[in-house]
Amino acid sequence: MDTNPPQSKRHPAPYPLVFMRFRPAWAYIDGIREFGRFFCQTTFGTQELADRACVVIQETLENAVKYSSNTADSELELSISSDGLSIEFSVSSLPDAQHLASLRQELNGLQTLDPEQAYLAAFIRASNEPEASARLGLARIRYEGGVELSMNEESGGRIRITAKGNL
Amino acid sequence: MSQFTSVPVPKADAVAIQVMAPNQVKLSGTITQKDPSSDLAGFFKALHNAALADKLGEVRADVSGLTFVNSSAIRLFVDWATWVKNERGQRYTLRFITSRNVTWQKTSFMALMSLAKEVLAIEQVS
Repeated sequence: MDTNPPQSKRHPAPYPLVFMRFRPAWAYIDGIREFGRFFCQTTFGTQELADRACVVIQETLENAVKYSSNTADSELELSISSDGLSIEFSVSSLPDAQHLASLRQELNGLQTLDPEQAYLAAFIRASNEPEASARLGLARIRYEGGVELSMNEESGGRIRITAKGNL
Repeated sequence: MSQFTSVPVPKADAVAIQVMAPNQVKLSGTITQKDPSSDLAGFFKALHNAALADKLGEVRADVSGLTFVNSSAIRLFVDWATWVKNERGQRYTLRFITSRNVTWQKTSFMALMSLAKEVLAIEQVS
């Protein structure tokens, strides 16, 4: 008996469109973000998706660069893939242990609120804690980027942040 | 003499800044430095203090030409709105001139408005 769903109901696997590997240097972020804007505008033909890609790429790479461990194997990987219905941005990095703990906590906290509420809550927190770091970035990715965030912890201490949303 | 228009304008990477009489500051370009507060937090604070000293009823911050900023830069606008909101004496309305064509401005200034609507105004231009 064929247990596979009919072809039309299968959800195709995300198709890799972009893959980059580079040193975790701040100087690269602007260029990679603008490439992402160009790529999404050109491939999918919508300014709206290009703008969302900019936010996702900027903020995920900023986090990855800021908190990368200072070792030879700390190169970042950025990939963009799509299954025709959704788009996925994925950033792999080797963070320092302290950041990993706070990232876990931050992501867990975010998931308890819808994206708009979480962004407003981040603004309120920033307003109430003027001396603390902003921590607006992840909430901004979800709300302005229109994506959901997840984190996988991989071998060797690497993590992969994935941002997935509709095209 | 207006203190507001005498505030020294910092030189910041990729962003052009103009202060115009009597009450307007205009920013255009992008703000994506690692720590934009080092260039801009002191400048915004100086504009805030000058607006209070000049007893301005309104400050117009034209950000419509800021095509992209990072969340650290958004934090600077949160801080500015918070300073005005927390002012106990005479205070001014902080009016952001935004572009309806720039995505980050639509989402972030809507959120900012909900934080301090009693002292903020948002004006959209094309």
